[in-house]
Amino acid sequence: METMSQIKKIERKVKKLQHVVLKETGVTCVAHPTKILAICNAGLVNGLTEEIIVENFKKYGNVNKVCLVPGKSCSFVSYRDLESATMAYNCFNGKLNIAQENKPVYLSFVENLVDFEEEKSWSILPEGLVVLEDFISEKDEETLLELCNFDESCGSMKNRQVKHYGYEFRYDINNVDKDKPLKEKIPMECDFLWTKLNETYFKGFVPNQLTINHYMPGQGIPHHIDTHSAFEDPIMSLSLNSSVIMDFKCDKKHFCVFLPRRSLAIMSGEARYNWTHGITPRKFDVIKSQIGFNTLQRETRVSFTFRRVLQGNCTCRYPFKCDSYAKNNEDKCIEEKVAADLEKTHVHDVYENIANHFSDTRHKPWPNVLEFVQGFQLGSLLVDVGCGNGKYLGHNKNIYEMGCDTSLGLLEVCKNRNFNIFNANCLNIPLKNNIADACISIAVIHHLANDERRLMALKEMARVLTVGGRCLIYVWAKDQKKDNEKSSYIKQDRKNRKAENIEINKNEEEITISENIKLPVHTNRTQFKHKDVLVPWKLKSTEENKQTFLREVVWAEKAVEIRPLETSMHSVFLDFGDFKHRFVAAKARVSLR
Amino acid sequence: MKLITHNFLSSKCMKGVNVGFPLKISASDVKVTEVDFNPEFVARIMQKIDYPALYTATESIGHLEDLPKQMVENYENDEHFLKKVHHALLQLEVINGELICPETGRKFPITNGIPNMLLNEDEI
Repeated sequence: METMSQIKKIERKVKKLQHVVLKETGVTCVAHPTKILAICNAGLVNGLTEEIIVENFKKYGNVNKVCLVPGKSCSFVSYRDLESATMAYNCFNGKLNIAQENKPVYLSFVENLVDFEEEKSWSILPEGLVVLEDFISEKDEETLLELCNFDESCGSMKNRQVKHYGYEFRYDINNVDKDKPLKEKIPMECDFLWTKLNETYFKGFVPNQLTINHYMPGQGIPHHIDTHSAFEDPIMSLSLNSSVIMDFKCDKKHFCVFLPRRSLAIMSGEARYNWTHGITPRKFDVIKSQIGFNTLQRETRVSFTFRRVLQGNCTCRYPFKCDSYAKNNEDKCIEEKVAADLEKTHVHDVYENIANHFSDTRHKPWPNVLEFVQGFQLGSLLVDVGCGNGKYLGHNKNIYEMGCDTSLGLLEVCKNRNFNIFNANCLNIPLKNNIADACISIAVIHHLANDERRLMALKEMARVLTVGGRCLIYVWAKDQKKDNEKSSYIKQDRKNRKAENIEINKNEEEITISENIKLPVHTNRTQFKHKDVLVPWKLKSTEENKQTFLREVVWAEKAVEIRPLETSMHSVFLDFGDFKHRFVAAKARVSLR
Repeated sequence: MKLITHNFLSSKCMKGVNVGFPLKISASDVKVTEVDFNPEFVARIMQKIDYPALYTATESIGHLEDLPKQMVENYENDEHFLKKVHHALLQLEVINGELICPETGRKFPITNGIPNMLLNEDEI
């Protein structure tokens, strides 16, 4: 029996803790019995888990909700009826030793659960996951279990033991050694499984790789997606000797899926490519049924995961989760150093060489740009990034304009025309933040050699723009046709003006840029065939046979649409009025840096 | 380089530089040119101008003349003041000299009126 003094002591403790609960979660403790109990001194931060709560509190009735608030030292448990809650309160308050260091928990009744809902679902399966219950008999289970004696020859992971057949899955590279098959193939004893599949949608699936995992109670596997490029679709997993809850997560969705002993889980499509799966390391699983929560003690679980090794690259529809996709993009991306060199040789030096000729041939401003420039009111500040010979400067007497370019040759042309200019690269605009009302960059960004640098240029422009400033960017469009009509760029070649398509299929020339990068040479006045190209520049005069190449990237419509958004410019609007060059105007409300 | 341009320039894109403003000017050749005076334009652009930086810049190239040290209040209608600012901002031009980063001392040459603000790969 408790003495009066002990009761008093507990009361004092609880009183103190009730304030903490209120402060931490906003939940008020009440004196009268309710269905909900606050565990005032134990929660996620001191190691309390869902399964410990359920395991203990289920003794007094049906628990229908457990609420562990992230980062808090209190938690809540809700019963279906008042009686159970009252009983648990009387028996556990100050007595149940599940708080930190096995100290007792202090309880209090509360009216409401904390307003926090973890998005966990129990009864739904992710798209593409099938669980075939009782897939094998107990006798088959026994046979399969005998196949693997986990001895020293097996790999031991931090949390479990593993053994591979057919191919080894290497955890260091997160892939299989596709050209080094193992001597030990999938045991014949497994063959009966595939005949069983004949009645299902997965008829004809025969794996060539098997991984056996051996989980002791309390062990688990971290959340992962099976490497896309390593295995085909589907992946099958047989649960032996113990049931388990496997967690599937995708974005904010979290599904707890019950995999009963002797069931076969088949992951395909979204479940295989887009959802992670994992097993929480714990000795009890929490299971939610219609009557409420329960716990299930785990036994040693052996899983057989059957897969087919993928030859070639993954072609799934989930690029963000796909290593093949990521690798492919990486290969395409021109490295920083190479990019800078490339821009120097094929852009900056070229412009320096052709400056005078370029300037002579670039005098007619495009009407869309003129209209934009002339739309700014008295006292506005305009920056022309990559101003060239200053074609767009001097068209609005009411504003102050500054131009910058990397080519000193072109800047000298500007200087002679009395424009305000400085020598700078669009990647590092030497201006203060938030000063320009207008920014234009006409046919500049396509000279940059990789996406990072193109994005950097946009960010720089966004940086110097004032809040509410506007920016106009033109880049080459890859598609030089609109509504089946050729652009003026293509029509400038007389022979292309005829209705029929007369693009000449010459043998394509390529120029080596660095060890692994070659760029195709574009044929002037024809449709662009590649995204990254070198554009030949022919000097009219004496050096007719000496060609220079300007490097350009031509943007598919899509690329242009996406990139300005990435600079966090707001209200980006696009107007593809002119189809020789795509038109991107952006109202920027940004404060980068 | 007009002093109005100088008032917007910064070396902040350099590695390790925070503000990079105002850049110091060391001018060896300054030109004064006549530019049409538009008081309303000057009044508007003044909202963007860092006046102390303009004052220091004007002083450093030896053309302070009678530019007041403090910005005049309600300058919008003070044509006398606006004219002085107009002179400093738009009529003074550094033809040759250097711009100097206030934090690192990096020098940016001004040649034939064009500041060379290009950075080397290792400076970014």
